[in-house]
Amino acid sequence: MIEKGKIWKFSGVILIVYVIIAGLLIPLKPGIESVEPSYGNAGETLKIQVTGYNTHFKEAGNSLRAWLKWDNGKAIAATEMVALDERRMNLTFSIPNNLPENTEVQAVTLLIDSETDGTSVLPSAIFLTQTEEVIAAEEVPWVKPANFSNNGMITFPFRNILGETIRNTYFHVPLWFGMMFLFLFAVIHSIKYLRKGDAESDLKAEAYTQTGIIYGLLGLITGALWAKNTWGAYWSWDIKQNMTVVALLIYAAYFILRASFEDPEKRARVCAAYGIFAFSTLIPLLYVIPRLTDSLHPGSGGNPAFGSQDLDNTMRMVFYPAVIGFTLFGFWLSSLQFRYLRLQKLREDLD
Amino acid sequence: MKDLHFILLLLRKEFLLEFRTRSAISGIFLYVISTLFVVYETFVKIQPNVWNTLFWIILLFVAVNAMVKSFVQEKGNRVLYYYSLLNPSHVLIAKIVYNTLLLLVLSLLIWGLFIFFGDNPVKDMGLFLLILFLGSFGFSVTFTFLASLVAASNQSSTLLAVLSFPLIIPIILMLVKISAHALRLIQDTAVSGDLAILVAIDLLLCGVALLLFPFIWRD
Repeated sequence: MIEKGKIWKFSGVILIVYVIIAGLLIPLKPGIESVEPSYGNAGETLKIQVTGYNTHFKEAGNSLRAWLKWDNGKAIAATEMVALDERRMNLTFSIPNNLPENTEVQAVTLLIDSETDGTSVLPSAIFLTQTEEVIAAEEVPWVKPANFSNNGMITFPFRNILGETIRNTYFHVPLWFGMMFLFLFAVIHSIKYLRKGDAESDLKAEAYTQTGIIYGLLGLITGALWAKNTWGAYWSWDIKQNMTVVALLIYAAYFILRASFEDPEKRARVCAAYGIFAFSTLIPLLYVIPRLTDSLHPGSGGNPAFGSQDLDNTMRMVFYPAVIGFTLFGFWLSSLQFRYLRLQKLREDLD
Repeated sequence: MKDLHFILLLLRKEFLLEFRTRSAISGIFLYVISTLFVVYETFVKIQPNVWNTLFWIILLFVAVNAMVKSFVQEKGNRVLYYYSLLNPSHVLIAKIVYNTLLLLVLSLLIWGLFIFFGDNPVKDMGLFLLILFLGSFGFSVTFTFLASLVAASNQSSTLLAVLSFPLIIPIILMLVKISAHALRLIQDTAVSGDLAILVAIDLLLCGVALLLFPFIWRD
């Protein structure tokens, strides 16, 4: 069967295959894409058309329920529901005369629940305006949305701007994790070289740095594609994007440095020292400075780079294997590159 | 005490060396003056936000040019002599202190010339002087250490620029941000936090440089 030393390589590949299959095939949870119109007035009978994503409004039939919910927990149920087709539905609400909050314009959340699709939520779906001061008190049929159904399907969450691109979480983010692990190992081998003077450690550091740069470039490309679909441009001069390019420039300079020394022993020593110095500047570059300014990335402004609310349990089942799989795969690539560099060095020594 | 004695001796040596071969230092001074003159000839009037960036960029280029010779001045037998005699940390500390002082003088000169040719947009002098010192120290640590790396290669000045510019970005970003506050371009409520980060970056780089320098130096 498989040799012992190869198990991690195989598990890396298997995890990546699993991530590609699960990450691309698991459907998105049904969600609400848009609501038209998205504003209304107190006291009127509001008719809205809801466009859903992956929804089955027709199929759901009588199990469909819909509410408008205020922040303070009060909600009203829809008075009329007409499913036009699987993705479109007309809802009618009679908005109370006196809105339950004190502001002039109040945002309400739209909740839709059905047995086939489970519960979908669109926060700030409709903005309601309190038109007149106080009209005679009325009996408002406040309800509390409850008994949500669960369709039991395995899905990824539906986020309005992200849509299907949420799957990029399993490629873009793990590539960054992988890159950091690879650079970390490069530094460990650089330190090893300075302590022991073993020529193989130097080659290993070079191999890890090369793979790290490839991971960095792939992370940048997947990020740029994602940014085009969600932020509207490939490059938004976001602080994290810029700092990433700087990090890649730092490591590109590493190879310029390698190329400019003839004596292999001197080259190894200088490059090991530069590698360690460069890695220590990565910490302020990637983790301190981006927190100080606004960023389009999630988790800027002092929060951890990845909030716990950004991942649900199904995503975790794919995300964590993706991190481990891409990291192991990176180590395999590095070990192949190391063997290639070692052979190249042998040939040079023979000449 | 003994450490301090050695460092001071080495520092004295640096000053003497610079004083005896005046060509290098006068070259740098002339570089500063002609750069500033070109800048004012082409810009005519400099807005404070441009001034802020321009000041640090000029200081950056001056620093590269001034630091690149840190380890190429003395070669061959003399280095061997130092090597048998001295602790490498003392050598690096003396060089960093000397380069910090040199850069501080140069940055004051740039500032003075800016005032002489145009006017002075700096509103908070104390803060600006403080970041001149912190900036000079950070530049000095980075450039001195990297100059020791590239000293052995034959195209050291290009190499130094390529290696150092990406590495200097965290420092220069913090400097520009704090100095924008000193120019009252922005109201920065967290300026003490930014200063703390700048000090932390400086000290981190200084510590790493001191740890690594002994390995570079043994030739």
